[in-house]
Amino acid sequence: MGELTRDQALQKLRKNEKLDRADLRGIDLSRASMPGAALSRADLEGANLEAVVLRKATLKNASLREAYLVGSDLQEANLENADLEGAKLDRANLSRANLARANLDGASLAGANLSGALLSFAQVSAANLTGADLRHAVLTHANFEESALGAVKAMEADMRAVNLRGAILTKADFTGAKVAGLIGTGAPLGDVLVAWLDTSEAGDGTGRITNGEIPGLLSGLRRPAAAATAPASRRYFGRGDVLKNATLDFDGGARVEIDSLFENCAINVGDGTELVIGEAGVLADCTISGAGMITVHGHFFERESPGIVGPRELVVSSGGAVVASVLQNDSLTRFAFERGSRLRVKIVK
Amino acid sequence: MSEKKTLIEEGTELKGTLTSTCPIVVQGRVEGELSGPSVEVADSGVLSGKAKVTELRSRGEIAGEFDAKVVELSGRVRDKTIIRAESLEVSLRRSEGRIEMVFGDCELAVGDAPDKAKAVAAARGNGHGRGKPAAEPEQQPPAQDQNGVQ
Repeated sequence: MGELTRDQALQKLRKNEKLDRADLRGIDLSRASMPGAALSRADLEGANLEAVVLRKATLKNASLREAYLVGSDLQEANLENADLEGAKLDRANLSRANLARANLDGASLAGANLSGALLSFAQVSAANLTGADLRHAVLTHANFEESALGAVKAMEADMRAVNLRGAILTKADFTGAKVAGLIGTGAPLGDVLVAWLDTSEAGDGTGRITNGEIPGLLSGLRRPAAAATAPASRRYFGRGDVLKNATLDFDGGARVEIDSLFENCAINVGDGTELVIGEAGVLADCTISGAGMITVHGHFFERESPGIVGPRELVVSSGGAVVASVLQNDSLTRFAFERGSRLRVKIVK
Repeated sequence: MSEKKTLIEEGTELKGTLTSTCPIVVQGRVEGELSGPSVEVADSGVLSGKAKVTELRSRGEIAGEFDAKVVELSGRVRDKTIIRAESLEVSLRRSEGRIEMVFGDCELAVGDAPDKAKAVAAARGNGHGRGKPAAEPEQQPPAQDQNGVQ
């Protein structure tokens, strides 16, 4: 056991004393509130820190091997280079925490909140992150070999140069993640939920790939097409322009924004194409077909029913208006309607 | 003091007409007509039939015909459902990869009817004064064709 008891440790913290380098092995600090605690290089191996509040605490280079941190609050904590091997962090809140170069090998992080966290160069092999929230996390050069990443939400995470060899990705959502230099799983993927990925080296969104190429990239079994690193196709139709009786086809992964007036037009979009009808955009007597992601800030009026066919996503913002029948995508369309949107919509399966 | 609510608990099935002056919370199953200031359908709740309320919030399952000022949905809307509302809110949320909101075949009439003629005229006006040629004015479509969903 360590040199301090629970009461002694908490008393020191209450007096704002630092516990840097303290020997706290095996201590029971469960449910204690210690926001902002100074615990750099502290030895907390095997400690019981269940539901502890260590928000904004400094745990840089601390040893938390095999520590029990289930349900703990570590928001914005500094765990840089900390040793968390085998630690139990299920449902812990690590939002915006610094875990750069931390050792999380064999750790359990099921359902943990790691949104916005920094895990660059972290070791996370053979770890369980099932259902964890990794949205907007920075994971560059992290090693997730043999880890369970099923059902993780890693939308718009920075996964450049991440190692996923042997990882399980079933039902994971990496939509919008930056993946240049990523090392794939080395095995066929299960069911992953990814609309598009950014393969640009700078991670600036200019290298979009969509459905067909995603499994190959995440598995590492097939390189993405050469075009994958080319800038995503972008189209903008400006205010004041009028387009009539036209048929427009946009490849998967393109981004199309319309602030013009389209009349009697047919728009065909590829998988994952983002089609945005801007505030000034009006599509009158038009049709939109394909598994795109449609956002309506302006107006859409169908030509014939169904006027919108098979979208993956249909979002109508507070200023948007849609008059149409919507034939849902085979895997069901995701709908979002903001308060203030005006709708005369028939949804058909 | 907490607000009084009419609660249909999980495991309870109610068939018929329910009128309440209190907010109604449906955790069980209600089949029939319902009216009150507000209805909240919990995750476990099923409401089928007709409801005329000020506010309808559902995380459960609804089917039938609903008239409300404010509607918030995040559960399931079954086939043959009609929702008429001044405002509707459906969030694009996903948990563990599944779709949070599932729509069956249904009709949504929300807010004022969008006016196609007005929108087209405004869009034509957008080009004026910006060096772009304004399009030729065209004959407007007949009023009865403007807003109907086929």
